[in-house]
Amino acid sequence: MSESGGVKTLTIDGQEVSARSGQTILEVARENEINIPTLCHLDGLSEVGACRLCLVEIKGSNKLLPACVATVFEGMDVSTDTERLRKHRRVILELLFAERNHICSVCVSNNHCELQTLAQQQGLTHVRLPYRNPELTVDASNERFTIDHSRCILCTRCVRACAEIEGVHVWDVMGRGINSIIISDLHEDWGTSSCTRCGKCVQVCPTGALFDKSKIGSDHPKYPDFLPYLNLMREAQ
Amino acid sequence: MFTLLSRICSGSGTMEDLDLLVSLCETIKETSLCGLGQTAPNPVLSTLKYFRNEYIEHIAHKRCPAGVCNMDAPAPVAVPTEVLA
Repeated sequence: MSESGGVKTLTIDGQEVSARSGQTILEVARENEINIPTLCHLDGLSEVGACRLCLVEIKGSNKLLPACVATVFEGMDVSTDTERLRKHRRVILELLFAERNHICSVCVSNNHCELQTLAQQQGLTHVRLPYRNPELTVDASNERFTIDHSRCILCTRCVRACAEIEGVHVWDVMGRGINSIIISDLHEDWGTSSCTRCGKCVQVCPTGALFDKSKIGSDHPKYPDFLPYLNLMREAQ
Repeated sequence: MFTLLSRICSGSGTMEDLDLLVSLCETIKETSLCGLGQTAPNPVLSTLKYFRNEYIEHIAHKRCPAGVCNMDAPAPVAVPTEVLA
């Protein structure tokens, strides 16, 4: 192994792959066109490992590891799509749907929603858990964008994009557990906060929680792919 | 989990609720990041393992063998068990 240096060989879903030392399982899987469902992960942002959808099984270990933060090691045998994982992913998605008011038919992100797409991919046809139907607010005080907390899944992509890419850190999470909510500044109106109106958070939001006011109906595709490019350009400078 | 348990305790639970409770507990236990999430479902799982007959008694005969649950209490807000997303 010493002559191979920083190169690790491992098996993902029976496929032999090689990876550089320090890479995460998710990166290696995506390089080899193996799909692992993710929600809180976004290329260009830091990882939080919060959504638990990318959990994978490692042979020899009873624990499930989040592929987005777990790094590879020599001889690792990873399974990304077992019956156990599929079952857990479905329950996690059901919990996400039951937690807040996700009503696709009246959502601006209908057909452009990552949560909806994942539910379709995982074959989720209905939610068995009782809906919580919380009463949540909508903040439309910003002249360009709106945040609808009912559709938020607390993936914290907006928080990370604002803090890491834009460098303003307007967004943050307030409260704990079921009471968590995304706030701007110190829980002020978005319109009067220190927001620079750059709109990065809107583009990275996987659901219709953050959306552009100028667009109505379900005509609201998002383009979060600019982040890796932006990071690359900044590093080049 | 709490909603499902209260539903069973009030006598309005179904056998499907029991299966759902088990699957929910297992998912929370196995997928949680922190130690609380990994252990919090344990009491529910172990009572389901050793006292499953009492759960079934609650559901099938609307009776609490231990005399703890008030089975005449109004059921928690009736929620449809299957809601389309």
